[in-house]
Amino acid sequence: MKTRMKELRARYDLTQEDLAKKIGVRRETILFIEKGKYNPSLKLAHDIAIALKTTIDELFLFEDDER
Amino acid sequence: MKDKLGIVVGIGIVAAVLTTLYFFVINAGNLELNEILPIGIVLILVGAAAYILWDRIKNVKKGLPAQDERLKITNYKACYYGFIASIWSAVFAPLLSGFFFDYELPGNYVTAIVVLCGGLAFMISYLYLAWKGK
Repeated sequence: MKTRMKELRARYDLTQEDLAKKIGVRRETILFIEKGKYNPSLKLAHDIAIALKTTIDELFLFEDDER
Repeated sequence: MKDKLGIVVGIGIVAAVLTTLYFFVINAGNLELNEILPIGIVLILVGAAAYILWDRIKNVKKGLPAQDERLKITNYKACYYGFIASIWSAVFAPLLSGFFFDYELPGNYVTAIVVLCGGLAFMISYLYLAWKGK
């Protein structure tokens, strides 16, 4: 799974820690999601999407074989 | 509040274990290898627990949660591995002791092995999974 989190964070000038504080998770969790090492729950994905003013399907990009 | 309570309880448990170990060691006299080894494992477990507590305190000080959904899943997975290690150590410790040393392990030794193996498997898998991110 690829994500546009890093790009959108940069757009809103947010650090990983700022985003983590906004949605109430640890900074490492944001790091692992960005690296594709952790798949967030639907609720967390929704919270991240709201914090970055986007939608889940624009934020997370699935490869064809992952569907 | 819940995070802070968890940290305070954790610090209390670490302090209680260290105090117990201290009194055991100063009253035990000359320790043999079969006594030093479990103490070493307990110290490793206490060290790992202290590291986890320090990490949680660091996050709470920054205004971040001590534990989030990723760490809760990590915790469940580590508990599962610890449970499996406990069960198999209860099966294999008496078997291996009889096979290799021709020695029947007393019940209290088996209990200690089960607790230490479970604890060690939990700590190793928790730290590994937390570090790896999955």
